[in-house]
Amino acid sequence: MKKFLVAATLGLAAPAAAYADCGEVSITEMNWASAAVVTNVSKFLMEQGYGCDVTVVPSSTVPSLASVSETGKPDIVTELWINGAPSYNDLQEAGTIVTLGDVLSDGGVEGWWIPTYLVDAHPELATVEGVLANPELLDSRFHNCPDGWGCKNINAALAEAFDLGGNGFEVFQHGSGETMATSIAAAFENEEPWIGYYWAPTSVLGKYPMTLVDLGPHDPEVHACNADPECETAGKSSYPVGPVKTVVTTTFQDENPDIAALMANVSFTNTQMGEVLAWQEANNASAEEAAVYFLSNNSDVWSDWISEDAKGNLAALIK
Amino acid sequence: MATYDGIFNALGLNDWCATENAGGPMTMAELLAQANNGGGDATAEVAAPATPLLETPFPSLDVLHKSCGSVPRTRDMTSAVEEAFLNVKDGMKVVLDPLTQPLSWLLDWSLAGFQATPWFIMIPLLMLLTYYASRSWSVLALVTGSFLFMAFIDHYNYAIQTLSIIFVCTIFCVALGVPIGIAMSKSNTMQRITIPILDMLQTLPTFVYLIPLIFLFSVTESKLYGIAIILYAIVPVIRLTDLGIRLVDKDVIEAADAFGMNSWQKLTGVQIPLALPNIMAGINQTIMMSLAMVVIASLVSAPGLGVLVLRGINNLELGVGLVSGFCIVLLAVLLDRSTKAALGRINTSEK
Repeated sequence: MKKFLVAATLGLAAPAAAYADCGEVSITEMNWASAAVVTNVSKFLMEQGYGCDVTVVPSSTVPSLASVSETGKPDIVTELWINGAPSYNDLQEAGTIVTLGDVLSDGGVEGWWIPTYLVDAHPELATVEGVLANPELLDSRFHNCPDGWGCKNINAALAEAFDLGGNGFEVFQHGSGETMATSIAAAFENEEPWIGYYWAPTSVLGKYPMTLVDLGPHDPEVHACNADPECETAGKSSYPVGPVKTVVTTTFQDENPDIAALMANVSFTNTQMGEVLAWQEANNASAEEAAVYFLSNNSDVWSDWISEDAKGNLAALIK
Repeated sequence: MATYDGIFNALGLNDWCATENAGGPMTMAELLAQANNGGGDATAEVAAPATPLLETPFPSLDVLHKSCGSVPRTRDMTSAVEEAFLNVKDGMKVVLDPLTQPLSWLLDWSLAGFQATPWFIMIPLLMLLTYYASRSWSVLALVTGSFLFMAFIDHYNYAIQTLSIIFVCTIFCVALGVPIGIAMSKSNTMQRITIPILDMLQTLPTFVYLIPLIFLFSVTESKLYGIAIILYAIVPVIRLTDLGIRLVDKDVIEAADAFGMNSWQKLTGVQIPLALPNIMAGINQTIMMSLAMVVIASLVSAPGLGVLVLRGINNLELGVGLVSGFCIVLLAVLLDRSTKAALGRINTSEK
């Protein structure tokens, strides 16, 4: 035990001396599984590779941007699903924030999901036509996002366009993300029907195998109209791949170009992230342990993200 | 390697421990050790020094697990709790689902009823009710003004939904709480058992019991938020009923005994009337607390002003949040004033 403690203190102290210029960095940790992994991996690389003093700020999409816009902190906002963050474009235009890159390079997958056991039993449910024709197989209920989420308007518009009500579905609006996730878990426990909105990569979809319902082709114009509560003509369009970005404040980028360059490189494919999340779920592990799992097994991936100096600091871990 | 190896050795439990391979995920500390050991295997021994006495870790499950693989880790313990819950949930569902069904029906009917009544009937009805309960022109003016104001800013529908939920939940709280309070006042054992439960209900974070409830009932049922509100708001009416009946003068009870009253007559004819001011104060507090739960209930899909507050928070629409928050305060003030005025009338008629 003591060995670890000593090592941990040394580990924190030694690189800090070499890189005294990095200083204090604050980074968000969004309240879902993949974001926690991204944050913990980034924290490790910044601390051990670049000698930063990292503060993790627990947050979620909208509050983190509000905080950046009002106070300029936290420095780094990562795993930002910009589809769900209306203030992103304003802040980007105002020059408060700089977008570094896609933290999930494949983007997030949003849409309507059905438990895979249902699709196995009734293959016709994999398309929206099959769903509309068989409300009784799906408990006649569509689970919509809570008020205040961007997806709520889109789903409401899609429900109108596909005439869910006329086909015998009742659109149920959840009060919070927690009840939405729990309703999926409860449906899986009882092998009950479920259809509704969700998104990947998440630990819920990592744990419970679900199939994306084919909503037909994606039409950017129709989708933009569906997302806008003021827009009257609802149309049919599937969800686009959601860009998931890392952004930093402009001042931070000017002061710490090294770290900004690192964060621009931190990027996971959905396969990589899905594997880490599945391992985390299977081992009942914490986000920190999941980050360690990624770091210890994928040094070829993250060694490309970091600078030459940082590689020197972390040489022991790069296989 | 681990601190408590010696104890397991001394107890001769090595065989038992060795049955399962330790392991478990690598921790951040181990990774750091690896980073600083020049690539050596973290789990390999690098001359582990004896742990100094002052750094002895507490013998928790996780620490003991390091010494003995058969001791479950804390995460195994929590997943066992989860397993246990999932195993008993079917049995619980059979009992609890029909038992709580009337709550769902009442909430739905009342919501439909309140919303179906047009505003020009509903507002005068509320005015009449207020006047009948309070007999106070100033309270009547407050209620009328508040409802007209909320209707004017298009919050009338939300306010009525909230009012309907509070109405049903208060009925349930009184119907369940007063008998429990009476039972508590009659029996010291009952009181000793109930008080810790009441303390727990007031402090337990709502989501701790709401999330398991979703496994029992469908998330779409209105009883889910009904239960959340009732469990929290029932406490004051129980406590104050108990207190009120216990505070009834011993001499009065003695007089009642002297008249040959049986215990039912004593309860209904003497104790409850004398305890009524306290019971009413409990009901007043119950209404206030159910109003306080409206926002949290919206997290499990309760309609009403709480939805607007949540939308304000989620979208950072400060105006929406502040205005709907103000409407909740307005509802609270007028419910408080009306019940207080009714309470005042009871107090004066007692004297």
